[in-house]
Amino acid sequence: MKRTVDVNIPLGPVHPCFKEPARVKCETKGERVIAAEVELGYMKKGIERIMKGRPWQEVMFLAERVCGICSVIHNMVFIEAMEQISGIAVPPRAAYLRVIVNELDRMQSHLLANFSYCYTIEHETLAMYLLDCREQVMDALERLTGARVTCAYMIPGGVRCDIHAEDQVVLRESLDRIEKELHRYASMFGNGPMIALRSRGVGILTPVAAREAHVVGPTARASGIAEDRRIQHPTYKQLGFTPVVRYDCDNYARIMVRFDELFQSIRLIRACLDGLPKGIIRGGGICKAGEIRYSGEAPRGELTYSIKTDEVGRVVEIQIQTPSIMNIEACCHSMIIGADSIADVTATFVSADPCIACTER
Amino acid sequence: MSRWIYEQDLVSQKYRILIAMRHDRIIRQIAADLGIGLQDLRKYFIEHLDMILLENLPARYEAALAAADHGDPVARAVGRALYTTYIPIVPPYVMDSIYRHVDAQVKSGTPLIEAAAKGRAMIREAMEP
Repeated sequence: MKRTVDVNIPLGPVHPCFKEPARVKCETKGERVIAAEVELGYMKKGIERIMKGRPWQEVMFLAERVCGICSVIHNMVFIEAMEQISGIAVPPRAAYLRVIVNELDRMQSHLLANFSYCYTIEHETLAMYLLDCREQVMDALERLTGARVTCAYMIPGGVRCDIHAEDQVVLRESLDRIEKELHRYASMFGNGPMIALRSRGVGILTPVAAREAHVVGPTARASGIAEDRRIQHPTYKQLGFTPVVRYDCDNYARIMVRFDELFQSIRLIRACLDGLPKGIIRGGGICKAGEIRYSGEAPRGELTYSIKTDEVGRVVEIQIQTPSIMNIEACCHSMIIGADSIADVTATFVSADPCIACTER
Repeated sequence: MSRWIYEQDLVSQKYRILIAMRHDRIIRQIAADLGIGLQDLRKYFIEHLDMILLENLPARYEAALAAADHGDPVARAVGRALYTTYIPIVPPYVMDSIYRHVDAQVKSGTPLIEAAAKGRAMIREAMEP
């Protein structure tokens, strides 16, 4: 069927508001967007193909190179999948340390996502404040793991290094400072009238559309869907985790969910530090043959690894389902459609925190 | 979508997506369900669905199996929501007529399996160019 279209507007692949290359092709009638399509393939790494046939010791490092922004969770999900296959137990202290590092990684990812959104709606002051805050989180991550990205902190049966008493003191001080600053920034965002004009009621994703596309993470939770893989994780269960949910379904809700989750991550890290068990951080174990589909909660949502290994722990088959696949799809087929202005397309796209590196793994 | 003068040929990239491990399993299940050849179904998907929807195919399929048409056995047997909203193979108005036809047959005494098979044949017809 032929449609009447005024203008076809391609956004990207290189666009000042996008962190990574992707082309969003919009069909508009007047200023209103009536259809959109996302074109990928500008940074395909073929990392799943590289992983096949390699031992887990190599795949472990490859997994966290799928994405530089959320490298810790790729490491965590792969390692936990291998532990599930091989029946390897994790010492309680190591399990708590994993949560601390994972939540720090989530914090820096959420801060970067909110920075990108503020930058896109041209609130550069708040954007730069958030980026400064992220640096403090990155410093804490580096202090604990020895690296800012690709930390390789988790290994089967534990973690690579322990947290020292002085590091705990520094981490608590950092968290206090970050929390104080975040209250101010969340208030600036939540109460800013110009921000509301660009964010409230824009990029609506209804719960029905979200469920159809299997939307996950903060994007789903901002549409009233209380789904979070951390609910099922044994360590998070001990910490009494409950997901953050909002019901506005718009850009504003998605950003505010991330702000709320930042405070939640701070609470979780404090709870881990308060109740950090004594004991070893590496229990050991041998990776064996098996097949599993294992999911964890990445900063952007459910991350799933389907792995098949042989008797020496070599990865025979692997497929990674990253959260951005679902979120970008919902973004271009639901959230962008009906946007009143082409300027809202970039803001809506960025509000879903798309990770092209994950999508084109 | 309309043509672009600098449009890339995405066929090979889309094909790569479809032959990945989980995608391949899903495509084989849909092909078996609809009674269509594997390559024919892949070709149909490449021509009618965009890249990001193809990437999201397994998640959409699993979401449909988990949530769609649970209260209505006829709709579930035909794949009313599965093949329209979750994986848009057939336009909703065509699926509505298929559903009405199958539902009428079931009410007139035809076994559900037989009626659903006729429904799938109608879906295949609707997919033909």
